[in-house]
Amino acid sequence: MNFFHSVLLFMILSCAALALWFHNLLHCIIAMAAFSLLLALEFYLLQAPDVAIAEAAIGAGLSTAIAIVALGACRKKTVNKEEQL
Amino acid sequence: MKPMSLIVITLTRVFSWFMIVFGAMVIMNGHHTPGGGFQGGAVVATFICFLLAAYGGKKFFTWVKAPIYSGLETIGLLVFFFLACLGLPNSFTYNFIAVAHPGEVLGGWLPSCGTISLMNIAVGFEVIGALSLTVIEMYEGTHMNESYFGGECGHDR
Amino acid sequence: MKKSLFVASAVIIGGLFYGVFTMTHPFGNPGKAVMDDHFIDRALKDRSAQNIVTSLVFDYRGFDTLGEAAVLFTAVCSIGALFRAGRKRS
Repeated sequence: MNFFHSVLLFMILSCAALALWFHNLLHCIIAMAAFSLLLALEFYLLQAPDVAIAEAAIGAGLSTAIAIVALGACRKKTVNKEEQL
Repeated sequence: MKPMSLIVITLTRVFSWFMIVFGAMVIMNGHHTPGGGFQGGAVVATFICFLLAAYGGKKFFTWVKAPIYSGLETIGLLVFFFLACLGLPNSFTYNFIAVAHPGEVLGGWLPSCGTISLMNIAVGFEVIGALSLTVIEMYEGTHMNESYFGGECGHDR
Repeated sequence: MKKSLFVASAVIIGGLFYGVFTMTHPFGNPGKAVMDDHFIDRALKDRSAQNIVTSLVFDYRGFDTLGEAAVLFTAVCSIGALFRAGRKRS
């Protein structure tokens, strides 16, 4: 169980790092959704199913949809990779 | 915002109805399974957001009207406040219709939960209205120029 | 410079996470929990709801839930006021 918790926390951290790493913003949103889903799984393993349902609904569903709507509202503009970093 | 690809629309069409049924189940069974009004309402509001993200704005607003959700939110909050006020001779949010065990002072007629279930339903309606209205307002506020420039101005895919 | 700063902060934050993860209570036995035991004993008899969390949220601490609902309402009102300001007048 302890090993599984460690693996899950490592996956959460790597998802958060991937959300910072990607250049495409849609990929960042998908990484954040995976982060929230893994966090909901961690809450469920810590025997808090209330928080797990709320996290899975709001973190993985609602904020992802809000971020996609906000991304659709942005204007299209290509940026060089040096500027983006 | 253009509709998303065929894969997303098909997945939404197949799976999102399970989400609304699951949200209703979480709200209704809030007093003896994990969850409650807030969690179930958030699940149902996620369904509304997926409709918006998958089908795009033009088709979405033929189904969903903002005043319905505004009214839902207001009615939920008022019903919650009214139910809380009904127990006022004893205390605020007093559970006045729960059936007590023998030897206890609580008396009523609704077994197994009392006002908890009714408050769950009220808060569920309030959260459905609030979280859906957030997304609808943000969409209408950020996509206001679409009719001017004759089409889409975002980088949708 | 920037990369070494990044590595140092990553090591520090990782160490803090490791410390928090190892030095918490062992799972299943928290410290003194008088209030928890009181609610676990009394909730089914008092309020006759099987879900103790819900009976806490909606009955014992109902005023907090009313405040939470009011906070949600206020947030939606402020979002409407913010995003309707930029909409074109028809």
